[in-house]
Amino acid sequence: MIHELEYVLNQILGRDLAERYFKTFADDTFLVSFPRSGNTWTRFLIGNLVRPHESITFLNIEKVIPDTSALSNRYLERIPRPRIIKSHQFFDARYKKVIYIVRDPRDVVLSYYNFQRKYGEIDDQYPLEQYIPRFLAGDLPGLIGWGSWGEHVLSWLATRHNSPGFLLLRYEAMLADPICELGKVAKFLGVVTTTEALAGVVERSSADNMRKMEKTQSDKWVVTQGRRKDIPFVGKATRGGWHSLLPENAIDEIEAAWGPLMKTLGYKLARRSSAALEPPYIRLQNSYRVPIRQQV
Amino acid sequence: MIRRLAYGIKHILELDEPRHHLAIYPDDTFVVSFPGSGNTWTLFLIANLLQPEPRVTLPDLKRLIPAIDGQPRKFFRAMPRPRVIRHHESFHPQYKNVIYIVRDPRDVLISAYHSLPERTDLDGGDRLMSFVAEFVAGARSPVGSWGENVASWLATRGNAPRFLLLRFEDMWSETVGELDKVARFLGIQATSGHLAEAVNRSPADHVRRLEQKTARKIDLDSSRSSAEGGWRTKLPKAAVSEIESAWGPLMSRLGYELCDTAAAKYHTVAVTELDRDL
Repeated sequence: MIHELEYVLNQILGRDLAERYFKTFADDTFLVSFPRSGNTWTRFLIGNLVRPHESITFLNIEKVIPDTSALSNRYLERIPRPRIIKSHQFFDARYKKVIYIVRDPRDVVLSYYNFQRKYGEIDDQYPLEQYIPRFLAGDLPGLIGWGSWGEHVLSWLATRHNSPGFLLLRYEAMLADPICELGKVAKFLGVVTTTEALAGVVERSSADNMRKMEKTQSDKWVVTQGRRKDIPFVGKATRGGWHSLLPENAIDEIEAAWGPLMKTLGYKLARRSSAALEPPYIRLQNSYRVPIRQQV
Repeated sequence: MIRRLAYGIKHILELDEPRHHLAIYPDDTFVVSFPGSGNTWTLFLIANLLQPEPRVTLPDLKRLIPAIDGQPRKFFRAMPRPRVIRHHESFHPQYKNVIYIVRDPRDVLISAYHSLPERTDLDGGDRLMSFVAEFVAGARSPVGSWGENVASWLATRGNAPRFLLLRFEDMWSETVGELDKVARFLGIQATSGHLAEAVNRSPADHVRRLEQKTARKIDLDSSRSSAEGGWRTKLPKAAVSEIESAWGPLMSRLGYELCDTAAAKYHTVAVTELDRDL
């Protein structure tokens, strides 16, 4: 009952978290990903890209690229348009312009495991062997409303891949060549820029810089305040950590569950072979097919 | 503010429609479909399975298989489990048992066009063609375009054991056999006698009469003719190829024959864009 009253009061005051159901506008752009897929880094990159004269920090990021799962409906309504909004939502038809970031699920699982320990969503000693099957099924606190990694990625790719209002970014490609990938984002957002400017944006948004800022700002950022600090929010920012950290049978389970999708995304399978997904589930339209990493 | 206050009071009294606030149980089954997919008739069939006696009426249907925005939250809380709930939503991860009804988008289009406020004929004029463009883009639909709605479910759950795909066209031509699949999915012990009785009690003209009584217009004419390919005679060629070029591969995957063979060609295109391994 107390919970209900609190809910109603928040609704009346417009303080309820925006989450999935808030008012969208036709000129909104959404930065979407499954959790722990490089979304915060990309927020910093895009923030620094669209606000070249102010450096993005954890203190101003929510004003520039607000987070639907951390902010209220009312807060989102007050962001000047056109808005760029961060979201972890599965496919939502109301999002007409979407930048979707995908990351190798073998790295995502490790990062999310640490994240859930940081946030006390699982026990600190929770065994990884038990965690993997729950991760695969999307059956973890926090994931229940977002779906499993495979469902999340497929819900977007099957509906929007290769349509003009959709830009797919791979976290690994961003690590390998951030300037090139950010160039795609600039083009997608209609931001006119130069390679030098992009390099500056990448520099200001580096993992090292973000780590430094987290140290001094984490008490003031809505996402990290009051949370334990021994596990940082900004992760290792690497790819392929799973090679040494994931047990073989865990790799096997993940590849068994999502092999074809991983193959489609260009993630080499270590333990088994699998064919890529066939259309139509990854929709192909010749007119929009642009080979990856050839733009800019 | 007033609107929010009213909502708050309704919420405390549990009189608000649940929509996304529905507390979902693992044993809930969701009957999901894109609007205009011959849903009412299919729902009557399922409802007559759930309630063998007496014959299901429209108020019964709203009680047996309520729409997620068709009853107050209080109703859903009091509903006996396992519940069967209907919705038009695209993929939703919390729906664990899903019966998805799909129908040929060329017929769905006719149904959507006929349900426009002012009825007009399908003469292939500008009005129809701009409607087709909107339909393909999903411009007016809160649940995505036909292709988005269907693909979001098939890609995520198409091979899952707790997902049952029903084609409206099969329901129409093989009603008993398809209804048997539904019964098995819902764990209902139904003899062929039960199934035949449920079919008898849900004839399309009966459903139409019920709808006329309550002055709710749902186009069953087009669902009747769709079994014989209503779009083939009614829909102008330009509209057909517009739809096929948007969703050709998905349509042929679902067994909907394409007129425009060029639209099917993407089917054979290999996934090359992302083949490059990282």
